[in-house]
Amino acid sequence: MDRHPRRLPVFLKLAQIRFPIGAIASIAHRVSGVLLFIALPVVAVLLDTSLRDEAGFASVRDLISSPLAVVAAGVLVWALVHHVLAGIRHLLMDVGIGGELERARASARLVLIAAPALAVFLLFWGLS
Amino acid sequence: MRLFDGQRAWVVQRISALLLLVLAVLVLPFASPLDFSAWRAFAGGVLGGPLIALLFGALCAHAWVGLRDIVLDYIQPRGLRLAVLSLIAVVLLGVLVRVLLSLAAAALST
Repeated sequence: MDRHPRRLPVFLKLAQIRFPIGAIASIAHRVSGVLLFIALPVVAVLLDTSLRDEAGFASVRDLISSPLAVVAAGVLVWALVHHVLAGIRHLLMDVGIGGELERARASARLVLIAAPALAVFLLFWGLS
Repeated sequence: MRLFDGQRAWVVQRISALLLLVLAVLVLPFASPLDFSAWRAFAGGVLGGPLIALLFGALCAHAWVGLRDIVLDYIQPRGLRLAVLSLIAVVLLGVLVRVLLSLAAAALST
């Protein structure tokens, strides 16, 4: 980058870099958002197929309950749950709740732990 | 690139987020296994059609603001940035058109 004529400090010892918990929650919010965007066209096509006719509805229902779809659904359910929980965290911070460093760290940890737990629960609940 | 920028983007992101939350909280408790005719009657009806359209409208607006933030953060070359943003816009508009056409077809067939 030519915009920075002075030498900037560089710290790229990857094994030693420790991200703060809030940064991990934040990047996971972005990753989950991108995953949901990638799934969106598939959801639109599934919606269309399921509304088209009886056979289309049955094929979408069978696809959703196939083993391969369960893995994909697991990832997407995690993405959705994490995105929603992290989003609620941000909305609460917008109105002044939980912005202090200690509480922000605690809520970031809560979101990171609750999202996979809730995703596993929802997946098994949906399968049963 | 100036569609939904600055403060407007922030407001669109928050309002669409709240809308999606409210829709999820309102609709999910009533979700139950449906057969084809009940599902098409719902999606083609006066309540379900607008609800699903609103859901996908908010979803696409929310996705646009979030993905635009990510692209502006990580992609610096102007040409590539414009190309990726255009691709995202085409995908989101395609999703929206596709959903609206599906809902219209469902409404006409019931």
